[in-house]
Order: sequence, then structure tokens, then C-alpha cells
Amino acid sequence: MKFNNKPIIMSPIETITQPSPWKASQKAALRLFFLYFFLQSVPLDWKFYRKVFSTDWAHLHYGAIFELAHYSPAWFSATQGYADWVLLLGIAVVGAAIWGYADRRRERTDEFYDNLYYWIRVIVRYRLAVGMIAYGFIKLFPLQAPFPSLSNLNTNYGDFTRWKLFSMSLGIVPSYESFLGLVEIIGGLLLLYRKSASVGALIILIFLGNVYMSNIAYGGGDAVYSLYLISLALFILSYDIQRLADLLIFQRPAAPNRFSPVLSGKWKRSARLGLKAVFVLFFVVLYGFKTRNGYRHEPYQFPDTRGLDGTAGIYNVEQFRVNKDSLGYSRVDPIRWQDVVFEKWATISIRSNRPVVLDSNNVERLDPAGSERTYELEGSAARHYYSYTADTADKLITLQNKNPHYRGERWVLHYNRPDSSRIILWGIDPARDSVYVVLNRIHKKYLLEEAAHHGRDGGLKL
Amino acid sequence: MSAAIASNWKNWERVLFRIAFFFFISISIPNSVEWYRLVFHIDWTRLHYRDLYDIARFGSGINIFGDRIFGNNLLGYANWIITLLIAVGAGLIWTFIVRRRKTERKEYNTLYYWLRVVVRYRAGIGIIGFGFTKLLPVQMPYPSLGILNTNFGDMTAQKIFWLSVGIVPWYQVFAGVVEVLAGTLLFFRRTTTLGAILLFGALGDIVFVNFAYDGGVHVYSSYFVLLAGFLLVNDLPRIYRLLIQEKVTVPVNVYPSFSAGWLKFTRIGLKTLTIFLFLGVLFYLQLTNFWYDPYKQPAVAGLRTLRGSYAVTEFRLNNRVIPYSPLDTLSWQEVEFEKWSSLSFTVNKPTPLDLSNGGGDPQRDVNRTFEVSGLAGGRRVFHYYADTVDKVLYLEDKYKAIPDRRNRAAGVGGDGGTDKNLKAAGKKAGGDYDGGVEKTGKKNDVNNWIPKTAWAHIGPEVTKIDPRAASARRDREYAEATGKKEKRNRMILKYDTTDGNRVILSGINENKDSVYIVLDRINRNYALTESSLQAGKY
Repeated sequence: MKFNNKPIIMSPIETITQPSPWKASQKAALRLFFLYFFLQSVPLDWKFYRKVFSTDWAHLHYGAIFELAHYSPAWFSATQGYADWVLLLGIAVVGAAIWGYADRRRERTDEFYDNLYYWIRVIVRYRLAVGMIAYGFIKLFPLQAPFPSLSNLNTNYGDFTRWKLFSMSLGIVPSYESFLGLVEIIGGLLLLYRKSASVGALIILIFLGNVYMSNIAYGGGDAVYSLYLISLALFILSYDIQRLADLLIFQRPAAPNRFSPVLSGKWKRSARLGLKAVFVLFFVVLYGFKTRNGYRHEPYQFPDTRGLDGTAGIYNVEQFRVNKDSLGYSRVDPIRWQDVVFEKWATISIRSNRPVVLDSNNVERLDPAGSERTYELEGSAARHYYSYTADTADKLITLQNKNPHYRGERWVLHYNRPDSSRIILWGIDPARDSVYVVLNRIHKKYLLEEAAHHGRDGGLKL
Repeated sequence: MSAAIASNWKNWERVLFRIAFFFFISISIPNSVEWYRLVFHIDWTRLHYRDLYDIARFGSGINIFGDRIFGNNLLGYANWIITLLIAVGAGLIWTFIVRRRKTERKEYNTLYYWLRVVVRYRAGIGIIGFGFTKLLPVQMPYPSLGILNTNFGDMTAQKIFWLSVGIVPWYQVFAGVVEVLAGTLLFFRRTTTLGAILLFGALGDIVFVNFAYDGGVHVYSSYFVLLAGFLLVNDLPRIYRLLIQEKVTVPVNVYPSFSAGWLKFTRIGLKTLTIFLFLGVLFYLQLTNFWYDPYKQPAVAGLRTLRGSYAVTEFRLNNRVIPYSPLDTLSWQEVEFEKWSSLSFTVNKPTPLDLSNGGGDPQRDVNRTFEVSGLAGGRRVFHYYADTVDKVLYLEDKYKAIPDRRNRAAGVGGDGGTDKNLKAAGKKAGGDYDGGVEKTGKKNDVNNWIPKTAWAHIGPEVTKIDPRAASARRDREYAEATGKKEKRNRMILKYDTTDGNRVILSGINENKDSVYIVLDRINRNYALTESSLQAGKY
């Protein structure tokens, strides 16, 4: 084969003309976007300040910083909905119209609009960076999706909601969760510098596009919020989109950004540096440090009160008596317990055929007190979950159903542990019947752990 | 400035290019005889999606010296390193020769263009082949009834990840769209960089997923990251110059002229053919597969009255009643008839496990093992042939000590299953289509254990799917199975039911014991909700 020897060289060099002056339509668009993104990014919602003032600043918890970072204006309900977008857009349209009218006689220079664009982009960049970093650190230190609890491991696949399965599927691979967090943090950090902002925005767009789709598909609670962050990233990227298209798609000479803000006066430059330093210290260094400590000492998904010593494990229900009737093993009886899990913390869960009305919370809650954390039962059927307090002197445990749909359900039971593998419970159930239960520990091996340990290349018999 | 870039490469650039040329050409062409055999044997009049998939998915790299360095395959990456070492040698020899003969060129613009074309099309076709199994969501199936009733902790991490995508078919479609889009963008010069960015991001994530979940496809996914990285080498410095250095940036891309008539014709013809084949025909074939024959699920419908979950009300072994206890090691505990031809149940007794991905390209339902692979909890899954005249089920265990070899053309990095599987297949490197078959005893013949009269009632399985999904590949594999010897657990059970609420199974189990089992239907409400998008026709 012989080809024409003379290659075609695309994109001949031309002198790139100076950036064209602002058109009237562009000015109008900028006024609109300025107002809209200002309203979306700057905390004007009074609920935000209620949070600020209720925060315990002396004992700052990473959960509190996360809550502040998770801000988005919501006027119609506790969390943002698309109605809020419409409202803010409406306000921005009216505001922009008034602004345009007020400015009709005043000749604004191009420099004014350059500055306006620059500063709104700064606001949006920092707002988005906070959002990304807040989620990034609770994944980098794998807090958001913890390794599934013993009860979760002993629940059938079909007895979880999609969202819970999503969270648990991530929870079994902390290294991958850390990697995802790292991507979020890197994307966020790139936003802190004007020159790398668009690269950061592109990484974030690809990442959040996936997050948004996951929220839709799995029924997560952050669909609106992730789309909100996506809109911020798009706004940031749009600044450079023309030159990137020139370079990559049209393959013609591309003009760089020529604007940089003039900060006249020493104090302005110091202020800029100071503010940036404060931002990094608070949202990156301090928050990062707090989440790391949180991961080590106080992860937020599972309760933090210790369970009865040496009880953690899964138990077969060897005997089950209600009043004088001994109920035999059954997979269909709604009363007869099938197995019981004692967690390391003060939770037990009971599997039976008694239906469960799901606790279907699907949003991150970092603030509840240690004993009120409900991640373990969210989106999970087939088991009833009880927090318990034990009176070790009188050998009494009080069970409290953790599911908000069964708030009032309490059991007060005596317990006895003849040996390390048996637990005997007896007392009065909520229906005023007397129960007597003998639990026997099952020494179970989990394929999830065995395969992780031995690999999949050899054989396994379980 | 452009003239300098176009016509005068630096010394190191030229040496590096020669090495890269050998390396990327080597990893862009198939390296196994099997691939050529497969492609040669394709019946283009009766295609199966897997025919095109196999064209798109092949092992590559230089493997004549094996795929191990000092006996270690380095997680499967040893082939890359061997190929790189050879490419370095070849590149240096090339440099030496042209310098010795004083024929060294100043630039390799045209050759670089063609190298990029090869890599673009290799990556594009490869990821499209991969992406279509997600775009028409069959790569990650929705969990079977048996899986829905298996504890979360009784699965491998690989299984959990695959299932987590399987439960959201629309999300799988989205992932497929991203992959197919990335591949399509690589077919065009102007969109190549966009496609490469997308490919790099999406597959970079998948590499990490494969390492974290032990998914087994890390090498093949890294392969695309490597190719995408190579395609980005052209534009990344320019993006840096434009955005970070904030300088005027002039992209100089050298494209050979295709203005001559026959060249233009050839170029457009080949490009159109590629797009027609891998976007048009493959889409149609994959759609057919999704509708009638999802490749990881058995395709033949199960008995309608039996489908569902059952509690074992009574279990008799050799006429002795065994009362139900979760600790008992003999009785069945949890029984499911799938919507396809599988019976699944649990026994509380350790059993050897199939730890493969349960994927690949088996045509026969008995070899489609996604519903049993990567699961513990005492779960057994049997494929059945149903004689609906005499009401007898002929059941075969889906578990096989040495699974059949899968993805024959994929070579290193194919999710061929366990090492055991690959080694077994390696012994029969002649390319036997049903590798890993044991040859012991007449009774193990895949057909002879079922009486002729029963076969007459059952009818051939090969034609039991929708005729639109018929293919030469399916016919061939069924034909080749006839007379093969296989060692599997087998059961012959009569079934007796009026409306499917109570089912009585009786007959001989896999240990030649007589069993009598009374099953009562349970209507389960799962917290997991099924999608509107469901594969297969049952």
C-alpha cells in the first residue's frame, strides 16, 4: 500500500484573536447565573445557622462538620427538592431582570463582568469542594459503609432493600471505599486552584454522574443533592468548555484563560491567602483528622455501647416455650424464633417468620447518640432488632425494639449462661405470655471471609 | 512551531516510539490459535452474540515464552512484562539497524497515526463487545430464588458485587451505555480523546473493583486502561499547557491523506463495516440473547406449576421420617423451583463449592452455573429434564469438580474460572470444545441415564427456546455433548401435585437412597423489589 506522502496537517496556525467583548446576551445570562448560583451556594437558609449555633464547638465532632458541609437551601421541606430549584431560579430571573433594568443606563466595563464571573466561580468552586471533601473523608476512612454486622451477614439476600445491599456491598471492601473517597477528595482539592478547577470539575462530574445514577437505581436519599453538586460542577467546567472543545474536538488553536483577579493592596492579598488557609485547615486538615479519629474510636453507623461480655455470635434456638407449649423448629411459624444474633455491641437480633415493617431511612445520619443508631436494621427484613441494657447483678436484660415502627415493644428477660456457648432466657414477652428460650452457639464459617482468606483458586468445602 | 513538532522528533521520542510500536501492536492482536479457529468456524448465517463477542475478546501479548516470569504469573500481568521486555529489545534493535544503515527517519507521524488507529479500534471493539452484555443487562443477572434465600455472609465478595449490579438492571444498562459510548467515540478522530477519558475513568474504576472484590477480570480491565492511557498521551500535555500553563495551544495532528478514490472507499467501507457489525448486528444479537436466552441463566422454562419457594413439611429417607431441625445434616431445608429448569435446596452439610464467576459461554443449561457459583450455606442446585407425561424429573447436579472451560479465546485475563479449570483445560490444549470431561463408566454418559421412553417425552432441549434465538453455536454444542461422559450427582424424582401448593417428590436421590418429600408452598415477600426489566422468556 502506498499512501500519499504528504500528510495533511490539521489546525493551521492562526493568531488567536483577543477574547471577544461581552455580548449583551452573555451579560444577561451571567447576571442570571450569578444570582442563581449565589442563592444555591451561599448559606442563606436560616436552618443552616440553627445548626451552626447548636454545634458544640468546644467538642467538635466530624459529624457536625459533615452536617454543615451537606448544606443546600431547602424551603419546602427538611431536605432540598426540585421545587427549591424552581423557586431559586424564579428569584434569580426576577432579580436578573431588575438588575438589567437598573443597569440599563450604566456602562459596565467588560472587566466588571470578568470579575463577576470570576467571583461567582470562586464561590461555587469552594461550595462544591466542601461537599466533595465532606463525603470523601468518610469514605477514605471507611465509615460511611461499614463491614456488615453479624446480623446482616445472617440475613437472606432477598430480605434487604436495594439501598441496603448497595451499602453492604461497598462495606465488604474497605479498600475500594477508601479509593472512592480519595477520588472525591482529589477532585475537591483541584477545585481550590483556579487553573486546575476544570480538571477537578471533570473528575467530579464523572464521579457524581455515577453517584446520581446509583441513587436513582438503588433508591438512595441523595439523588437531588448529587444532582445539585453536578449542576455546580457543570457551571465550573462551562468556563473552559469552549477552549477544551477547540483543542480536543475541533482540533484548532485554543485560547487560554487570560483573566486573573487584580488584588490591589497588600491586605487583600493577605486576606485571600488567609481565607484559603483557614478553609484548608478547617475542611481538610481538621476534618480529615477528626474523621480519622472517628474511624478509630467512634464509627457512626453501629451503636457504641458494649454488649454482654463473650456473647457475640449467632445462636440456634434449641428450645422455645410459650407458656407451657414447647414450639418445635419451624420456618413458617411467626412466633417461633429461628436464630438469634448477639452483636459485639448491645444489640440482639431475632430471626423469625414474624413480618417486619421496614425502617427505610436512606440518608446519612451522623449525629444520633450511640445507642440510637439504626443503620444495622435499616432496609432489612426477617429480623427484629433490639437494643438492650443488662443488669449483670440481677441477671436481667431489657430489650427495646429499635425499629421506629415498633417503638413500644419491650421485653424484660432473665438470663443465665450455664457455659460459654449457651444462653437461657426467660420472662414475660410484650403479649404478657411467659417465654423460655434456650440458645446454643453455632460455630459458623462465612464464605465471604473464607474466600477472602483462602482465595478462589483452590477448592473450598463449606 | 507546528513544523518542528510535526517533522522533527527528539531522539528519545523516536526510540520510545519504536518500543511502543512493538508493544502496542503485540497486545492488540490475538495470540492464541483458538481465537483464529473460533473466528474461522463462525457460521455467519446463524450467528450467536457470543460469536461477535469472541471476535472482540481475545488474549494478546507475546506468549510463546509462556505467561510466567520465574514461575510466577504476577497476578496475570507477567504477559505484559514479557511483551514489554521483548518490545524494548526489538525497539533497540530497530534503532541500531537504522542508525547503522544511516536511514533513520526524523519522525514517525504517519506510523504513529496508524498505531493509534490500531489501538483505537482494538479498544473500541473490545469495550463495545464487553459493554453490550451490560447495555442489554445479562452480564449480571437478577438473583435467582435460591440466591434470594441465601445469607449475605454465605457468598463470595465477587458474587456480592455481581449481584449488587444484577439487582438494578437499569443501572446496568447505564453502565453499558457508558462503555459502548466510550468505544464508539474511539472510532472517530475528533472524539477519540473524549472516548479515551471516559474509557480510562470507567475501566479504572472496574480495575479497582476487580481487585477489591477478587472479581478475576482485573487484567482484562487494566488492558483497556492501558490502551486508553496510550491514546491520551497525545492530548494530555496540551490540556496541561492550555489549562494549567494558560498558554495558547495549537493541536497539531498529522493525518495521512485519504483523498485518492480507492483509499477513501476502503477507509469508509471498513469503518462502516465495523460500525455495522459491532454496533448494529451485535446489538440485535445481544437483544435476542436478552429476550430469549440470557447467557448466565438457564434458557429453558421451568415447570409452571412448580415455580416458587417451599417449606419441607415432611422428609423421609429410606422410609424413615427425619424431623425438621436446622442442625440436621440429611434433610432438605429450603426448596426453590426456579422459573427456569432448576431445582435448588439447602442441606446443612458441608459440600464442595464452585468458586468460579459462573459466567462464560456454555450453551447447555446444565453448564450455566451463575445460580450456584460463589454460594455456600449448604445450597445445592440441580438442573432438570421434565418428563411431563409420566411426571418425572431427571436431575443433574450443577456442581462439577472440574468445571468446563470457559471463554476459550480470552486467554490470560479471561474469567475462565479457577486455576483448576484452566489447568484441566490446558491438558487438552487441542481445543476440545468440552474440556474437563471425565471418561469413566458407561453410566455417566450424559444421555444414557435417562430411559429412551422418557427422552421421547422430554424432547430435545436444544430447541426448547424461542426459535429466534437459535444459532449454529447452540446446535454445535448440544451435538457435541451427545455421548460425552460426565460425572455428576443425579436424581430421578417423581413429582405429584395438583395446583403447586403441595408438591410431593419421591424417588432416588444422588446417594441412591430413596426419598419421599412433602413440600408446601410459601409465598415470600422480599424486601428487595424486582425491576421492570427482566431477562429471558419463561
